[in-house]
Formats: sequence, C-alpha cells, structure tokens
Amino acid sequence: MRVLAKKTPARREAPDGGAGDRRDALGVSGLSLTLGTGVPLLADVTVRVGRGETVGLVGESGSGKSLTARTALGMLPRGARATGEVTVADVDVLAAGRRRLRELRRTRASMIFQDPRASINPVRRIGDYLTEGLRARGVPARAVAGRALELLDQVGIRDPGGALRCFPHEFSGGMLQRVVIAGALSTEPELLLADEPTTALDVTTQAEVIALLKDMQRAHGTGMLFVTHDLDLAAAICDRVYVMYAGRIVEESTGSGLFGAPAHPYTRALLEASPSVHGDRVAIRAIAGRPRSLADSPTGCSFRDRCPLAGDDCAETVPAHRPHGQSLAACLRPGQVTP
Amino acid sequence: MNAPVLSVTSLVKRFGHLTAVDDVSFELMPGASLGIVGESGSGKTTTARILAGLEQPTSGTVTLDGEIVGGQSRRARLRQARLLQMIFQDPYGSFDPRRTVAESIAEPLRLHAPGPAAAHRARVGELLDQVGLSARAGESLPRELSGGQRQRAAIARALGIAPRVLVLDEAVAALDVSIQAQILTLLDELRRDTGISYVFVSHDLAVVRYITDTAVVMRHGRIVERGETEQILRSPRHPYTRLLLDSIPSPGWDLDRVARDRRALDAL
Repeated sequence: MRVLAKKTPARREAPDGGAGDRRDALGVSGLSLTLGTGVPLLADVTVRVGRGETVGLVGESGSGKSLTARTALGMLPRGARATGEVTVADVDVLAAGRRRLRELRRTRASMIFQDPRASINPVRRIGDYLTEGLRARGVPARAVAGRALELLDQVGIRDPGGALRCFPHEFSGGMLQRVVIAGALSTEPELLLADEPTTALDVTTQAEVIALLKDMQRAHGTGMLFVTHDLDLAAAICDRVYVMYAGRIVEESTGSGLFGAPAHPYTRALLEASPSVHGDRVAIRAIAGRPRSLADSPTGCSFRDRCPLAGDDCAETVPAHRPHGQSLAACLRPGQVTP
Repeated sequence: MNAPVLSVTSLVKRFGHLTAVDDVSFELMPGASLGIVGESGSGKTTTARILAGLEQPTSGTVTLDGEIVGGQSRRARLRQARLLQMIFQDPYGSFDPRRTVAESIAEPLRLHAPGPAAAHRARVGELLDQVGLSARAGESLPRELSGGQRQRAAIARALGIAPRVLVLDEAVAALDVSIQAQILTLLDELRRDTGISYVFVSHDLAVVRYITDTAVVMRHGRIVERGETEQILRSPRHPYTRLLLDSIPSPGWDLDRVARDRRALDAL
C-alpha cells in the first residue's frame, strides 16, 4: 500500500493544548481531509479513544468512517492534505515521518479489516505470517515459534501446531479473522483499529469473533476504534459511539444512549429504517434520498435535504455540537421527534 | 385460489460427495412471502437457484402453478422464467454494462411478450415509475446508478412479464440501511398491489421478519425449523434457531449466552 503522510505547515493547535488527554490511545481533533484536486473528504472530525475503551464509528457508505480510521495510522489517500491533529499513543501522526509511522504501526497500533484474505499473503503459511510479524516487532528468534503457538491458542484455534503449517485457504473466513486478530494483538498495542471486522462473517461467527476481540482487548487494555455500518452492533459492544454523515461527526453518544434517546435526526432516522428482531413488529420508515459524500452535500447541515425537521436556519452554518441528554449532537433541533 | 403457486417436494442437490440441499420441501401460496433463513453453506442459495432453473436438482420436484418445471429445453426454461424471476444481491453482474437500464428492462418483454416497440417503451416507462426510478435513470448505464437504484432496476426488469413468484437472494444485503428500508417498503407495496409471491432468501432475521409471513430455517442443507416467521422468532424450538437469534447484537447483548447456545447445539 502506498502511504503518503503530508505534513501541513498550518496545523491547528487545539484549545486545550493538544488532542485531548495525552494518555488516550487515539486523539483526533479538528481533522479535515482534502484531496489535491480540492475535493473535501472529511471536515472537523474529532474522535477520542481512551485506553481500554471501545469506541464505535458508525455511518453509511461514503460517510468517511473508514477514512477517519485509516488517517489515524497515517494512511491518507494519494495527494490528500490533512489539517487538524491526530495523536496515537503520544505520536503526532500527521507530522511523523515514514520511519516513525512504520514503528507506530508495528508496535503500538494495529488495524484489522473486513476481509482477512486481503491482509494475508495467500501463498505463505499461517506460521510465516505470525512469526514474520513477531520478528519485525523484535521478539527473539528462539521465542517466536512458542509465542505464535500461544497466540493461536488464545484466539481459540484448535491444534495450533497444525494451524501454523496451514495455508490461508485452508481456513474459513471466521478462523482466518481470528488469526489476523492474533497477529494484530501480538504486541499488545495501545490502539486497535477494527474496520468492519465481522461484516463478511455469518452472524453466529460474528458473535464468536466479537467475544474474542472483547476478551483480548480487556486482557491487554487496548483501546479499540470499531468502524461499522451496523448500529445495533456498535450500540451492543461500544462504550461510546460516534455517528458520521457526509464526512462529519453528527452525534456522539454512549452506546446505550444511542438507542434509548437518539439526539440527531439522522441517528433517529437510521434506527427507524432498521428492522429489528426484538420487541413488537413495527413498520420501518425509509429515509428519502441517498447518503451523500461531503463533496456533494448541501451547505449548512449536510443532512438537511433528507431531514424531516429541517428549516431555513439549517442552511446557514454547519451546526455546532451541543449537548442533549447523553449525547452531543450537531443539530439545531436535537431530540425532537419526527412528525 | 387455495392451490399453492409454488411447491417444492423432497429437493436434493449433490455436488460430488457434498449434499448441498437435503430433502427440502415447502409450499408458497399466491400473494404469500416465505423466508429461507440460513448462514453460508446452509443450502439456501442453492435452493433458490434450483427454483430459478439455474441448477438442476439431483432429485425432487419443483411445481409452479400446478405444473412440474425443469428440463433444459428452451420451451421449459422460458415457461419457468415466465412464472418465476430471480433478484440477486448484486444486480450489477446481471445487467449488460453497455446497454441502458431501460433497454435491459425491455429485454424480457421482447422475449416473453413480442409486440410493437412503442408498447414495450410504454411498459418500461410504467415499470420505472412503479419502482420509483426517473425516466432519466432509465436512460443511464448500470454503472451510472447507485446500488439502490440498480436494485430497483432489477426489480423492474423482473416484474415486467408479471411473474407469479419473485425469488430474492440476499437482495438487500449489500445496501446501506436507509436504502435497504426504501427497497423493503417498495417490495411490500408491490406485493400488496400485484399479489405476487416472494421467496426471500436471507441471513438477516430482522429483514426476514419484516418481509415474510412464514419461514424455514436451513442448516447444513436441511430444514431444521419452519412455521410462521413471528412464531419462530418469539419462541424458537430448534437450538440452531435460538443460536441465530441470540447471535444478533442488541443492547445488553449476552455473549456468554451465545456460547451456551453453541454448546447446546453441539451436544445434539
């Protein structure tokens, strides 16, 4: 993967002198991302993940959720300019050079993706994958094999010895995702970025992989940023959830608060559009229009052209985040029920 | 009116040593909607493909509108397609990338209902309107449309020849929540307005609950539970159905309970 991290001369200093608490696993503050051609991708994104915390980043396609997670590791689209501040485990990501970033990704922050097959070399054995990573992370050669066995055992692979000699195609998607998780957590990183890690898996496998992720995370005190399109999943496993729409954060809430009292009309609309297996069978309500990217969203509030509560005032400026119940919502009319 | 529009009897499909579909039977009444629920490898998609004539069953029969279908002759395949159409997860693969959406929607009309081009054009206009697409969208190439619009176009094409049954294989699985809701409500309206029947194949129990009246749950090629969808979800009888239900994330999600369900199922 080609990685370009551009330093920007005009980096904004956050009012409190940095991106939140220095002890945070991830601090993103006022992050904006623009392509070289001038197309804006992200605007004023602020995300915080504390040590040992699970934080959800939820949105539909094009909302910028994956982009935000990738930017946290300095993986910017080619020619993109970033402003704002991104700090992972005390490292200033936007200012860091190649070597510093590589060091960061190798030891202190890991990322897992939707398709484990895309991140494992198909012609090399599982054992090679794990030991290579461990060697790069400075584990002595003698200890590597033992450590790899231990890791596979931890993530619930039966017969770890045999698994080391297997090729990726001999594993199911769920089993391979476990191997990738084992690799990602092998250095006990401070931050794990999980980008739709269970989306390609069956529901029952998803539940197992999530249980594993949560256990491993708890054991190592890793902060996790969990990127997903699945509101139910985010609310079920996250301490806090950020909802993204068109390149902006529109709501920040506690996991439980998201369902109990959604503050932003977009969050509410998403919930009303999702059928559920729980409770009484209720009609779903579709949201008119389609999700937008930042570049083709209207002025002011990006959601206003699909929002049933929108008025003329919504077009004036991008609404600031204001507290409502357990949430912070970027809306002039937070918490109002759709007519 | 009380004869099933589709009935499937003792369907078996083997691929070499693997039995993908193992003794599957069900019936679908006119205007009804049946869910086939299962995970990957459960045989749900193979079952759907047999219904559409894309696979030949090893044994067992599919009866459409009182007549057994099957056979590879052109006449047999046309008749099957006339009565039953299929919608896939990604309609992009089933549209000719070089033809406009309207041309693709007109194709089954030309094949099944020969007539003047003007009549076909008018019918295409009607169909686009019925699924909520603009005339401009009709003049677009498939790649110029969004996923939701393409799925609408696929529905329009399937409805053109007024089939009795629509088989939808994970038809909303790849769509964003807000778009998924649009397609689901559209499908609901169409069924109410036209009396068409659905076989809705999905791994998503919430979607199945919304769109179907009855359902079968498949595992390893066999049906392990069947009944009214609401009944199955409220009081699942088979341990596998219980595992599926408990695996769905919700506030207060109990992962230990999922592990217990898994052990109960393994103990069978």
